[in-house]
Amino acid sequence: MPTDANDTLGEGLGALQRTNSGIPVKAVYTADDIPDFDPARDLGAPGAPPYTRGVHRDMYRGRLWTIRQLAGFGTPEETNGRFRLLLDQGATGINCVFDFVTNRGFSSDHPLAEGDVGQGGVAIDCLSDMRRLFDGIPVEDVSVSLVLSNPVGAGVIFAAYLAMARERGIPWEKLRGTLQNDFLMETVVLTAPNILEPAFSLRLSVDVVEFCTQHLPQWNPISFAGYNYREAGADAVQEAALVIAHALAVADEMVRRGHPIDSFAPRLSSFFTADNDLFEEVAKYRAARRVYHRLFEERFHPSDPRSSRLRFHVQTSGSALTAQQPLNNVTRAAYHALAAVLGGAQSLHVSAYDEALCLPSEAAALTALRTQQVLVHETGVTRTVDPLAGSYYVEHLTAEMERRILAYLSQVDELGGLVRAVDSGWVHRELMGTSYDREIAITSGERKVVGVNCFTDDVPLEIELFRFPSALEQQKATLAQLRAERDEARTQAALDRLREAVEGDGNSMPYLIDAVQAGASVGECCDVFRDLHGGWQQPLL
Amino acid sequence: MPLIKVVMAKMGFDAHYRGAMMVARHLVQRGMEVVYIGNRLPEEIVRTVIDEDAQVLGLSSLSGNHMVMVPRILALLRQEGVERVKVLLGGVIPTEDQKALLSQGVSAVFGTGSSLDAIADWIEAAVGRGPGAVQV
Repeated sequence: MPTDANDTLGEGLGALQRTNSGIPVKAVYTADDIPDFDPARDLGAPGAPPYTRGVHRDMYRGRLWTIRQLAGFGTPEETNGRFRLLLDQGATGINCVFDFVTNRGFSSDHPLAEGDVGQGGVAIDCLSDMRRLFDGIPVEDVSVSLVLSNPVGAGVIFAAYLAMARERGIPWEKLRGTLQNDFLMETVVLTAPNILEPAFSLRLSVDVVEFCTQHLPQWNPISFAGYNYREAGADAVQEAALVIAHALAVADEMVRRGHPIDSFAPRLSSFFTADNDLFEEVAKYRAARRVYHRLFEERFHPSDPRSSRLRFHVQTSGSALTAQQPLNNVTRAAYHALAAVLGGAQSLHVSAYDEALCLPSEAAALTALRTQQVLVHETGVTRTVDPLAGSYYVEHLTAEMERRILAYLSQVDELGGLVRAVDSGWVHRELMGTSYDREIAITSGERKVVGVNCFTDDVPLEIELFRFPSALEQQKATLAQLRAERDEARTQAALDRLREAVEGDGNSMPYLIDAVQAGASVGECCDVFRDLHGGWQQPLL
Repeated sequence: MPLIKVVMAKMGFDAHYRGAMMVARHLVQRGMEVVYIGNRLPEEIVRTVIDEDAQVLGLSSLSGNHMVMVPRILALLRQEGVERVKVLLGGVIPTEDQKALLSQGVSAVFGTGSSLDAIADWIEAAVGRGPGAVQV
């Protein structure tokens, strides 16, 4: 590898330049930079191993990516209204985000929750909320992503979704969609009161994978949330490596539970960010597909080619957007979206220009949707598959990214696997370290951010911030009504059965569905988990 | 000379901790002592400030809970007679909310994009131990 040459080239053929994750970059790339490049081995055909060029033969000609804009705030009724707006305006899938209280499986009337109910996502406390959230939305036809990040709450809210579908007479086999259900979200990426032990959090997430394998053949039961690892501080290499490490950990656990790899692996899905460094991001997606394929083949020997195929959703970076000069974010998000599409994403959310200021206003949400529509209908990027293949630079970066992802995965293996790496605080330290270095680079001006540390101005902010009434009173009333109307003995019996299942090694999902149907709230179900396996101290500082 | 002591907390269920950790790490680099207590109720936050005898309270909010939680914390600080403590607020705080909270007793707001050095400089100046310190 001609790295010495790299070090002498760069700015004006002078100083060294690096990608945002630290890969050296030269001023010019030639065939000499990819001496071992073998297109048949390293690329293959689109839709064929090792999937570097994408998971579909004809890519966006055959099937456009799903336009899936995130929505969720306030009460179930308010979010239902935003779903309808986005679908009316051409979105092709739903992407529902929940508030942190719901996501952590607490009830809205918890004392800590007062300022957070309906903030940053919709509040859901019980089955009747789920009915109102999806009222009039054809969930049998539309693919529905439920951004339930943490396994503690993902199972029970998904249980309410399944109970709602059953009431409407929709067979579960027809449901298409995705849960996030990611134990790193619960233990590393986000913080909360009373966190579950990492091993137990992973167990709950695999319960959902196992349940879906048996009952929801079209559902993606987990989505490895690289996007959020990145928002928490990771660089592109760490993001891809942690996604793959996580996928391997889930597959290990499913195999340990006796499920053949091909019975579940085709439905494992992933979620990446698209950040500023355009070519590095494209290389990340391509390399991640190649490494994922290789490791699933090596470790699990699947027969079904879909088992080693990395499918992913992309959300354009939130943390790359700025509060200063917020309209610049429209431009940033468009470049991010371009990276995602050049990298072969299966679905896409473009972040709104007011991301750093508030929840998306209607105007900002529509502009983000239009950004996707411009990309699809005006730029021509959908015409051909993997258009950057064969570029000296992009193939060099892809190979370098692959090498670095594999090296990082070896480190995780040496630590005893991902759960141990989390338990020990290694993953937290890794992300915080990378993030701090980046902050210092921005503070010092070494890394430029337009409108923040260069090209700044004092023009007052002229965008309309999105405000909405608190959902707290309505959620409190819903919970009061739930408790007044339910058959208390039946509810308690269902919660007791859930507890017994968790104390043993039962799958929690059937018991969660029974419990929500018996009138248990989200918070009550999750309290069972916290009683038994809560109180883990996140190793942050 | 004793170190400047800073208590940092997340309020309610707000789950974003990266910004708070970056600030915490940088303040430690700059020679301050930081006590991070995670997601807490206003009462617990104020109790910690008193028990730790901190000069600065750093609050971080990116979930939109600031208008509920921050005024309550300010009221408790006054009630306990420790309103001299400098309250710094960081995160996603709309401009009009910043104005409202500054008028209610928040000492400074550092929104997204703030420089880590600017935060540390501000604390050193305000608490009176840095170069060019302001006596308070």
